[in-house]
Amino acid sequence: MTSLAGKIAMVTGAANGIGRKCACLLADEGADLVLIDLEDEALEALAAELDRQDCNAVAIAGDCREDEILERAFEAAEARLGAVDILVNNVGQSARERADEFVGSDPATWRFVLEVSLMTSMRFARRAAPAMRERGWGRIINMSSDAALAGDAGLADYAAAKSGLLGFTRSLARELAPHGVTVNAVCPGAIRTRATEQMAPDIMARVVRGIPMARMGEPEDVARLVAFLAGEGGRYITGQTLLVDGGRWML
Amino acid sequence: MLVTGAAAGIGLACARRFLTEGARVAMVDRDPERLSGARDSLAASERAFVIALDVSDAAAVREGVGEATRRMGGIDGIVNNAAVDLLRPFAEVSASDWNGVMAVNLVGAMEVCRAALDPLAASGRGAIVNVASAAGLRPVPGRVAYCASKAALIMATRALALELAERGIRANAVCPGAVDTGLFRASLGDAITVEDVKARYAQRRIGDAEEIAAAVAFLLSDEASFITGSALAVDGGRAFH
Repeated sequence: MTSLAGKIAMVTGAANGIGRKCACLLADEGADLVLIDLEDEALEALAAELDRQDCNAVAIAGDCREDEILERAFEAAEARLGAVDILVNNVGQSARERADEFVGSDPATWRFVLEVSLMTSMRFARRAAPAMRERGWGRIINMSSDAALAGDAGLADYAAAKSGLLGFTRSLARELAPHGVTVNAVCPGAIRTRATEQMAPDIMARVVRGIPMARMGEPEDVARLVAFLAGEGGRYITGQTLLVDGGRWML
Repeated sequence: MLVTGAAAGIGLACARRFLTEGARVAMVDRDPERLSGARDSLAASERAFVIALDVSDAAAVREGVGEATRRMGGIDGIVNNAAVDLLRPFAEVSASDWNGVMAVNLVGAMEVCRAALDPLAASGRGAIVNVASAAGLRPVPGRVAYCASKAALIMATRALALELAERGIRANAVCPGAVDTGLFRASLGDAITVEDVKARYAQRRIGDAEEIAAAVAFLLSDEASFITGSALAVDGGRAFH
């Protein structure tokens, strides 16, 4: 399929898991890709893979929280491909290794989580939106989490960040709607990624018991929705919060 | 695929889209003449089967769904799109008005689902999309029964999703905003213009039936295989669900 032929998509946190699959499916639809991630080896491997399938891919290794990396990514995109049409704000972290009861938590951890899971998406959107608005077409897709709706014990900072992303999504959607730019949030449920592979089997089994479809999701389950929202099928959908969670929450 | 309310508007757009993608489609509507006319307007109409019935007639639904299953060789997806509108001040909405709206918008949709359970389960990838409304998420004036029926349909969809997951059947709702159909134009009355309605939407326009059909087709497809129990607003920025 080539429904996104000629479009330029930027994916943050693109090297692994959901971000990687989003990049691959957007490339399958014909988009060129700008990929940003901390992990340079995995990133280069992905860029090489996309290049082989006739997708022009630009890889920027670095921390999305840094203004210099953000600017380098947009400048490289504009110099080598053109203005960004589709922004997938995928990067986010729960600092799970530091997860703890809120009463024992450290504000420095909250700041890290809010920075990477909320502020970074705002900064990327701030940089990408003017050109989208000028050209009358754009898609911003913010990766939230079902934790934003259901909460998650031990991850209050993460749930707060992801919930903040929903309010941001709705507000930006209102501002950009008259200019042909849609803004939506996607909330994955329990998805099989590196983070979940480290779960103990009994915990994993308990998680699966709580999912009506009785399985964990795959990164592709989420990426397919992202690809749909990025395409023409999503042109009248804006400001929405969409779950991909096998029926765990039901919004 | 089985689509109710298929003679016009969103239902017809869904039928057209499914045919374009190569599916067989059972087009259900209560008006046989409009239905046949609609079918004849479609390309690939040899894969479209018309079944005239009123979804509020449970016996007719059972028979019609059985006929659709036989003629198509199974059912993989259902779009419950048939609905009635009721624009009337609350003080004048009688019990029979309520029953009439609920009989089509809620019970009719559920009876279609119930009649199709076995073929949907046999499909192995069975999926239901109930066409609710942005008015089932946020209220609009003068339509108490309509809003309530659509909110009920959304919750029924969630409860169905929960119960049917173990049979491998997904259920989701699509919530359209104002769409440029005959029903919409007829519903405006004298006091409200199309421009007034557009002003309520962030995108400052009303939708096309094809835009709703795109979301329906996505939710029925394997692309959405991990999405169940969702209500997806396709409303150009109104409900912010």
